[in-house]
Amino acid sequence: MVNEAESVVVNEAVLDVVMLVEIALLGLAAGVYFSHGLWLFVTQKRTLEEMTAARGSLARLLTRGTINLEEIEALRRMRRGVQAAAFLEISRTQTGTGKDKLRFVAAEVSLLDRARKLCESRRWTRRLRGARLLAGMDVADPIVEKLFSDPHPAVRAQAAEWAAAHPSPTVITAMLKMLADPATQARFAVQDALLRMGDIIAEPLAAFLETHSGAPAEAGLRVAGALAETRFLPAALRLSAADEAGVRVAAAKLLGGIGSAASAERLTELLKDSDSRVRAAAANGLGRMQHWPAASQLAESLRDSTWHVRRDAALALRAIGAPGTLFLRRALKGDDAFAADMAQQILDLPATATG
Amino acid sequence: MMESLSGLVSEVMVRGQFIVLLYFLGVNGWYLTLLVSSLLEMRRHMLVIANESRYLLLSSTLSPTISILAPAFNEEATIEGSLRALLALQYPRLEVIVISDGSKDRTVEVLIERFDLVPVKTIYEQRIKTKPVRNLYRSSTYPALVVVDKENGGKADALNVGLSFAGSELVCAMDADTLIEADGLQRMVRPFLYSTDVVATGGTIRVVNGSEVRFGRVIRIRVPTNPLAGIQVVEYLRAFLFGRLGWNRLGGNIIISGAFGLFRRESVLNAGGYLHDTVGEDMELVLRLKRLSYEQPGPGKIAFVPDSVAWTEVPESTRVLGRQRDRWHRGLADVLWRHRSMLFNPRYGVTGLVVLPYYVFVELLAPVVELAGLASLVLGLAFGIVDWSFAALFFLTAYGLGTALTAFTLIIEDLSFHRYDTFRDRAMLFWWALVENLGYRQMTVYWRLRGLWKFLRGRKDWGAMERKGFKPLAAPTARA
Repeated sequence: MVNEAESVVVNEAVLDVVMLVEIALLGLAAGVYFSHGLWLFVTQKRTLEEMTAARGSLARLLTRGTINLEEIEALRRMRRGVQAAAFLEISRTQTGTGKDKLRFVAAEVSLLDRARKLCESRRWTRRLRGARLLAGMDVADPIVEKLFSDPHPAVRAQAAEWAAAHPSPTVITAMLKMLADPATQARFAVQDALLRMGDIIAEPLAAFLETHSGAPAEAGLRVAGALAETRFLPAALRLSAADEAGVRVAAAKLLGGIGSAASAERLTELLKDSDSRVRAAAANGLGRMQHWPAASQLAESLRDSTWHVRRDAALALRAIGAPGTLFLRRALKGDDAFAADMAQQILDLPATATG
Repeated sequence: MMESLSGLVSEVMVRGQFIVLLYFLGVNGWYLTLLVSSLLEMRRHMLVIANESRYLLLSSTLSPTISILAPAFNEEATIEGSLRALLALQYPRLEVIVISDGSKDRTVEVLIERFDLVPVKTIYEQRIKTKPVRNLYRSSTYPALVVVDKENGGKADALNVGLSFAGSELVCAMDADTLIEADGLQRMVRPFLYSTDVVATGGTIRVVNGSEVRFGRVIRIRVPTNPLAGIQVVEYLRAFLFGRLGWNRLGGNIIISGAFGLFRRESVLNAGGYLHDTVGEDMELVLRLKRLSYEQPGPGKIAFVPDSVAWTEVPESTRVLGRQRDRWHRGLADVLWRHRSMLFNPRYGVTGLVVLPYYVFVELLAPVVELAGLASLVLGLAFGIVDWSFAALFFLTAYGLGTALTAFTLIIEDLSFHRYDTFRDRAMLFWWALVENLGYRQMTVYWRLRGLWKFLRGRKDWGAMERKGFKPLAAPTARA
């Protein structure tokens, strides 16, 4: 069909090169893969031995309160990664004097010095490692406070995690400032840290909420909502009129948690808010407060155009008790089919159901 | 006349050979880019998670709430074990919604008996039209458990019902027989904490065949001896640790496995939920979410989390595997066809200009090109149009480079998670990587072509999946 001259012949040199490259690649892959396997086999065995010894030494330290020089020396000689892992593993299970003892030994074996050095590294991954070590060991060291303004959000978040256990006035102020952090990861860690600090933050957080607005205020309101302290009431009332719907939602949730006549009055007004999420949060808040004087306004909300508002209003009426149930029954016979349907569904719920 | 015709045929075949050769060079070149990208991404990821403490997330009242949506159809034999494993997942604010999609066996009865279910009434907003719900149950011993019994409507319909009932910010879509690792959700939720722009995250799916499973947990990981399952282990590693991780860094992830994915509930509801009339409903949803993020404000980032792991059983028979691959390829073709207006459209950024062209020219058309290449090579050799040296070059380019890249995927796994840590497992994995191209790959080409053909003919059936069940479960678990 075709003579030999027309067939496609590949230059043998090209073929040889391609073949050699592929053999080299496969050989390299096999070499790396199996050598790494061998290396893992050897190191894992060694790691296990070292971890077992370290756990034994640290467990004796915690139970008997003593550790001998040989054990400290053995801990010091351990590979850094294994040493850090051993201390962190046990530290996470300890508080109080147990943690003090661990910190003492960690300082003796230079683990804490190394963590401090890591915190000052130019590489963010090392700073993260340093902050994790100091947070895991609960070391009160001002070097971590410097990391609150670290350029990398993961490091800032780790520093915030550390802050939860060190609620000094300076740290609390820094944490409140960080509520405006542009990185979600850092903001989440900050809010969590503030919550873990507990009542101690109520006063500064209330002051913060009174002077801030926008996203930082919304983040602060989320923390305040979990604490639901009466000290937040003035700020919650002010922020419930904020321009941003998200802030008003958070403020409405906080008002529902706080209670009081002022809260109830404001929540009743918020039932007419332009944003459906705010209206739903207001209805929910009134239900939580079981504020029966708002029953007629809640009954109005059964006619809301948004499903969530109708549901939360109906659930609030149910939570209010007899007066609310009366309005739900009236809605069954009303001219609004959506309100009647929602009222029917809520009335059909078993007594223990929460919706 | 005949001579000029044969001359034309040989000319076409010769040029076609070179085009196919160039195609494979291009594909493998792109794979190399993905490999480098995945290596860099894995390194960064491992540095970030080193010594990470997730205990805080576990006890935080600010952690996002998650509803697991587990559709079940005739899962009587395995549902109890699977559900107990789900209820034992380490996540603080978790709700588990099992949706029995019109099961004809005793799935619902088993659930009622074993989990003390009581019928309840509830109110929910039906934003997506679904098949009717027959009953709703809550457990009197597991407050986090909700069971929905509905009429049969398929997996997409079941997930849509689950979406309506879910009360959480995030929903985890999974298959009822997927085994999620205990800390899988804690790991998978990370990107949502890191960015408000994340709309969905996916984890790594690993092959459970050959491994030992107890109480819904994989307790001993082994590479299967069955060739089909063994090669699929390598395939899955390549798909997740090389493909998706590589795309992660390049911002081009558009696939989240239907077996294990986490989504922002509100975004999914706004997008209209899962589509019923496609066999690629998981990819379709993700691509739709991605598309919407370009068209209107809202989150649109798809993140892959390599250390969040779920295990799945893969087919060990060519018949079932063929059906699965045929369905996957039909799904891919269908999704790409539905969203064809995004292709090469600068409005859709990287997705329209890079990712979708990749899926069309590399994933969708690969079997066509490969078949054309193989067929013309055989014919060319038979008629003396191509020389053996060219054939050797073709195989080295098409398959040899692929094998080398797969071998590097094994290195990524070994350097990061090294789940297969015995010499036997490593040797077997390497062996499966080497033999994958000798028969298995050609079979998948055939199945994918069959899928493409069926798509062109408008077939949308799923085909049945047969499973052997996890060893050493005492109860028989084979299902049709």
